[in-house]
Amino acid sequence: MEKLCTLSEAVSRIRDGMTVGLGGNTLNRAPMAAVFELIRQGKRNLRLVKTAGAMDIDALCLAGCAASVDAGFISYETEYGLAQRYRRSVQQGLVQANEHACYTVISALRAASYGIPFMPVRGLKTSDLRAVNDYFADVTDPFTGEKLAAVRAIRPDVSIVHAQVADARGNARFDGPKYEDVLLSRASATVIVTAERIVGESFFAGEREKADIPHFLVSAVVHAPHGASPGACPGCYEPDGEAVRAFLQLPDAGALACWLERGRCGW
Amino acid sequence: MVRTCDIMAVALARLIRNGDTVFHGVSSHLPMVAVLLAKATHAPDAVYLNIPGGTDPERPVLQRFTSAGTGLWDSACAGFPLMEVFDLSMRGGLDVAFLSGVQFDSRGNVNASVIGDYRRPKVRLPGGAGSAVLIPTAKRAVIWRTKHDRRTFTDKVDFVTAKGNVSDIVTPLCCFTMYEGELILKSIHPGVTIDKVAENTAFPLRYFDIVETPPPNAEEEAALRRIDPLDLRNLEFL
Repeated sequence: MEKLCTLSEAVSRIRDGMTVGLGGNTLNRAPMAAVFELIRQGKRNLRLVKTAGAMDIDALCLAGCAASVDAGFISYETEYGLAQRYRRSVQQGLVQANEHACYTVISALRAASYGIPFMPVRGLKTSDLRAVNDYFADVTDPFTGEKLAAVRAIRPDVSIVHAQVADARGNARFDGPKYEDVLLSRASATVIVTAERIVGESFFAGEREKADIPHFLVSAVVHAPHGASPGACPGCYEPDGEAVRAFLQLPDAGALACWLERGRCGW
Repeated sequence: MVRTCDIMAVALARLIRNGDTVFHGVSSHLPMVAVLLAKATHAPDAVYLNIPGGTDPERPVLQRFTSAGTGLWDSACAGFPLMEVFDLSMRGGLDVAFLSGVQFDSRGNVNASVIGDYRRPKVRLPGGAGSAVLIPTAKRAVIWRTKHDRRTFTDKVDFVTAKGNVSDIVTPLCCFTMYEGELILKSIHPGVTIDKVAENTAFPLRYFDIVETPPPNAEEEAALRRIDPLDLRNLEFL
């Protein structure tokens, strides 16, 4: 099956209401081109999963695509301030914030990747987060009787990751920090890879550094140069500060649609 | 006059002991500079762990937009990504975790989640990131907060995102340390009065004696200029 396709084709396979994992961390190597395509296609009720998100989550909330966000932290880092669209959506009751510790997102994804229903987690039991969220529970170690908190598995229907290099079959490599992208690929039912560069079929065969994601986990590959912009992609580009600031000024979903129409960042 | 960001950076750095394993996360430029300062001065064998997973970066390129970027990875000696830093803390191997929040009380409870109802909050905060698992499991959770007022240092936090092993809190006015389960005043920064700290803290101040936070010495000043030429330690005060 041909996996190499356009961004529009890849994203059209994502249906309303799906659980979608997003790679990267804050403005670092987030799959922004795919996020903007989700918005263009008017997806609804997406259940977003991320350890630490910023513009990806903020934009999907502004556009009305998100039903819930499972994450440990949603904010730009110091320079660009708070994720105001996410905040507002949660405060207005439009989006459900399922706050995790970043590690409980990781543990939930690990459970999915191990094929088990939940994962015990240390520490969490003293947090009010344990009591107010139904995806956390208490468990007892069957061997020692120790009481622990546990988190329910999260198995995304699809995860979207942006890589520096991929081939047409879906083998993909992250140069530099990998964040939780490799785990996301194992935990999810399928993976969409967007990549700065598409290499020939025997590229990874000739490399000492192999792909991080093997082709059989991937259902679509998109050539998306600047696919993490206006965020950064290590080894390729820094954030486009002007575009980030322009985005932060957009008042509503209509303005966002116009801004995307103008193709500020060239996708 | 010592700048607040400089006194906070040195106060945070001095809490790191030589050989400690030390972690900070996102939005953490002050701790990032503090860890590098400690390694450049009194704690060369501290082990620097971070989100991108760059263990002990030799020539870190500090990035303005992030404290979790490739600048901490590129000159690192080994890869040890975030999930493994958490695992390390879970098995008792993380000495120091730098974390923050929006409200703190005298028992060291931290709120980084919500003001008001959890499901329909008056204010949705960014979230505690790793706090709910790191504050109880790291040997010492060190808090920094660049705001010190009565809403921040409150009688009772609205929501307990995390509690546990908070050992110290560094603010623009002072340093608190945990003593028998309660925060006590450890030192007051140069130029700050005890009355000013008391006026801006909702819980009663407890202390044994009032000492001044030692300002940066010549070695620390030189190291700060070298480590952080872009003055990112001041980012939260701009």
